[in-house]
Amino acid sequence: MSQFTQPTLERPPMALAPTQAVSLNINGKAHTLQIAPWTTLLDALREYLDLTGTKKGCDHGQCGACTVLVDGKRINSCLSLAVMQEGSEIQTIEGLGSEDNLSPLQQAFIDHDAFQCGYCTPGQICSAQGLLNEGRATTEAEVRELMSGNLCRCGAYSNILSAVMEVLGNKGAEAAGSQATPKKESKEGARQWAAGAASQSVPPVEPAK
Amino acid sequence: MNHLDPQRHVRGESQYLDDVPTQQGTLFAAVFESPLAHGVLVNLDLSAALAAPGVVRILTADDIPGDNQIGGIVPDEPLLAHGHVHFRGQPVALVLARHEHQAHAALKLIKVDIEPLPIITDPRVAAAQGELIVPPRTFKIGDSAATWASCAHVFEGVAESGGQEHLYIETQGAYAFPTEMGGVRIISSTQGPTAVQRHTAHVLGLGMHQVEVDVTRLGGGFGGKEDQATPWGALAALGAYCTKKPVKLVLDRMADMRMTGKRHPYSSDFKIGLDKDLRIVAYEVTFFQNAGAAADLSPAVMERTLFHATNSYFVPNVTATAFSCRTNLPPNTAFRGFGGPQGMFVIESAIAKAAEELGIPACEIQRKNLLRENDLFSYRQPAEMCHAEQAWDTAAKEFDLAGTRAEVEQFNQQNKLQKKGLAVMPICFGISFTKTPMNQARALVHIYSDGSVGVSTGAVEMGQGVNTKIAHVAARTLGISVNRVKVESTNTTRVANTSPSAASATADLNGKATEMACAALRERLLRHACTEYTLNYEGLEIRDEQVLAAGVPAETDWEKLVSSAFWKRVALTENAHYATPDLHFDAATNQGHPFAYHVYGTAITTVTVDCLRGTYTVDALRIAHDFGQSFNEVIDRGQIEGGAVQGIGWMTMEEIAYNAEGRLLSNSLNSYKIPDIYAAPKVLDVHFLDTPGHPKAILRSKAVGEPPLMYGIGTYFALRDAVRAFQPRTALPFSAPMTPEKVLVSLYPEFSAAETGWNATAVGTPASIAS
Ligand code: FES
Ligand code: FES
Repeated sequence: MSQFTQPTLERPPMALAPTQAVSLNINGKAHTLQIAPWTTLLDALREYLDLTGTKKGCDHGQCGACTVLVDGKRINSCLSLAVMQEGSEIQTIEGLGSEDNLSPLQQAFIDHDAFQCGYCTPGQICSAQGLLNEGRATTEAEVRELMSGNLCRCGAYSNILSAVMEVLGNKGAEAAGSQATPKKESKEGARQWAAGAASQSVPPVEPAK
Repeated sequence: MNHLDPQRHVRGESQYLDDVPTQQGTLFAAVFESPLAHGVLVNLDLSAALAAPGVVRILTADDIPGDNQIGGIVPDEPLLAHGHVHFRGQPVALVLARHEHQAHAALKLIKVDIEPLPIITDPRVAAAQGELIVPPRTFKIGDSAATWASCAHVFEGVAESGGQEHLYIETQGAYAFPTEMGGVRIISSTQGPTAVQRHTAHVLGLGMHQVEVDVTRLGGGFGGKEDQATPWGALAALGAYCTKKPVKLVLDRMADMRMTGKRHPYSSDFKIGLDKDLRIVAYEVTFFQNAGAAADLSPAVMERTLFHATNSYFVPNVTATAFSCRTNLPPNTAFRGFGGPQGMFVIESAIAKAAEELGIPACEIQRKNLLRENDLFSYRQPAEMCHAEQAWDTAAKEFDLAGTRAEVEQFNQQNKLQKKGLAVMPICFGISFTKTPMNQARALVHIYSDGSVGVSTGAVEMGQGVNTKIAHVAARTLGISVNRVKVESTNTTRVANTSPSAASATADLNGKATEMACAALRERLLRHACTEYTLNYEGLEIRDEQVLAAGVPAETDWEKLVSSAFWKRVALTENAHYATPDLHFDAATNQGHPFAYHVYGTAITTVTVDCLRGTYTVDALRIAHDFGQSFNEVIDRGQIEGGAVQGIGWMTMEEIAYNAEGRLLSNSLNSYKIPDIYAAPKVLDVHFLDTPGHPKAILRSKAVGEPPLMYGIGTYFALRDAVRAFQPRTALPFSAPMTPEKVLVSLYPEFSAAETGWNATAVGTPASIAS
């Protein structure tokens, strides 16, 4: 792969399109981009900031793959122009949790196996985070209703639902002042797990007979 | 665990095609497509587009250095239209520009003159005019014609099933790079890397060795990227080859929907005969498959329809004929189930018709006719290790079929404007590519001197968890931790001549090859251990990374053993080839043993219909499924749930509409609805049947990709059941999908007597909705 994955050295010229400076605050960092005013937030993230965790599924506000958080509210980034978000706090999947400290939703998605191909996953997680922030949903039926803008063609819905419900339940428990439920250990130690790592955090598999 | 590296997925770090960092100098491609469904290409005026800002080059059929042909089964599909156009959305020219938006802007400046020719969208019309992709095929056992007279009951009818958009959330695309040896390297979002490689080589006039295809993972495939990833890979490669610059081509959602084929719609005639004990004694069916404008995989899909024409029932006298009909629509293609679901829908319709006419529940006929051990399919393969009855009876018991039925009946007596419906859907699905030569796979396994392991196969990871399964097979066979195993990208230079990741057979084929390679390496290492440490080879094994001699830990473990083997010059790489044994099928007589084994299962579906609005919910989908000895229940359960939801979508809300001009009306997610989290069944239970698995399945864990889709068919019949509870005598044509509109029309036939079009054939007929 190496010869094909080198980062871009220079942006392709934008020809006649007039550009302007747009300042965006993304995942706690300030960026100033020189972009055409009609550039969507989604394209600004993916093409100018190399934040490719946010996916483009339809570019028309119909699938939810591009969901990001703006001042804590979830939006379809394909339906928003980057210029409209100057002065807002934008949070993308890359800014939710960190490598060794996943957000509760990220962890729950792993624990509940809430994805197959993974393409809708960043959008699902950002949308679920927005849902939690809104604080409107408490029941399964409400979560279904309020997450119905995020399509998953692999049909991982029942696991997505249980992942969101788990975090919602824990959050509810904390808010109620009760003892925070101890964080469930990942079933298979998925947290420490990395492909190709030689660490022994996962017990070796049964050998063949 | 479903994924080898789930952290990357939830952090948005997994790289899909469109996420590959753009190389300097990359040109972006956009496809100019035919605006008409059929005609003579008279003139193409590119002058204005060529002068547009940023446009570097526009390629047409004349720029193709090799053969302008990408037809896989039948050579009837040009990469870029030449002389004629055959469907709306057919690629005509490729614009290459410095920026993506410039390429798209230039498309609007291309002028094309097309002399229109008559357009066919209906498969029966095509068949009547002799427009067939391949000659019709007939699968026959016994003598149905001679049996009708002796049947106690005979019923005839028509069944229609609609198409289905794949709607992988990652659209089609490819990124091609010129190589210094005059070839191309393609990163492709494809289920069939070898298909992309072969057709690209053909188009460019190169040897296959000059074309490298690499696939990391797909954001969904479902069959839509089996053959139909090829045009985009080949077009990007053509651009890279002609300009000597990297070329990236990613379809936007609406272009993807317009230009790519879908699940085949079918229109079918059936005739079913039962004896007085409700045994099905004869079945005749004629399938009219809407293939679209080119063969693509249609002949193979049609063949699988014939294989599965009797679903999981034993019928002694069968005559099943299928026509693959050429129409002016985008070439329809593989979609999970590959024609099987379309065949099963018809026999389920026939049984439903018989049950409705006889005034009995369909499941009385269904249960009585399930396959038993050694029953012959029409293609003469016997049902071996058959679990059809076990699946049914287990589902009936585990999920209390009798109690559920009583509940439904009681609910329907108590409620006037809400009705519940119930259906049982047994399935039987053959595992293997029905084209026998495709049932082969290779694995290349490296053990590195530090004890880590790299595995390459032909399998493409698209969410079905095949990489995880392969890593587990390797770890289990070598007796080491799965942490040591890395499954590499699928690359044609490491593993050549691969079959596509399809037919549910990917884990079986590639897993078996991996198992063979790892077993050979294990044996070699143990032989080495036996000389190096003077141990007796008998009873020597590697378990939990430890070398055991007759169960007692020897003085070496995995890392030491590998290291010492390396220093003693033992080969630590193995390349294995697996070909499923004992498969054969004669396409002239339509007889043989095409499948390694069959997968069985039964689903019980209950729905509630709102009889004022026609809307409905799937209350519960309860499935007893034959996984064999599943070695990854999480992945397998996910496949069942996801497949079933997709099947429900196909049968209920997903309605493809073309107008008479062959223009796709359901051309975005605004007009084409797929199941969302709200539409998924409220209850989705999966029961793992206790079956021994099959020796030809990897680690006896049976293939699980496609079979669950067909559980969705039960939803259609449950909806019919609910409609009948409200409107007992309404004429209900067998026409899927059962959209809420269709349900409403069925509930109030008196208001819809005037032709609404809902009951017309699934595709192409509602011309009145034209633009
Ligand atoms: S890409 Fe924004 S909603 Fe689909
Ligand atoms: S995991 Fe594939 S689309 Fe959701």
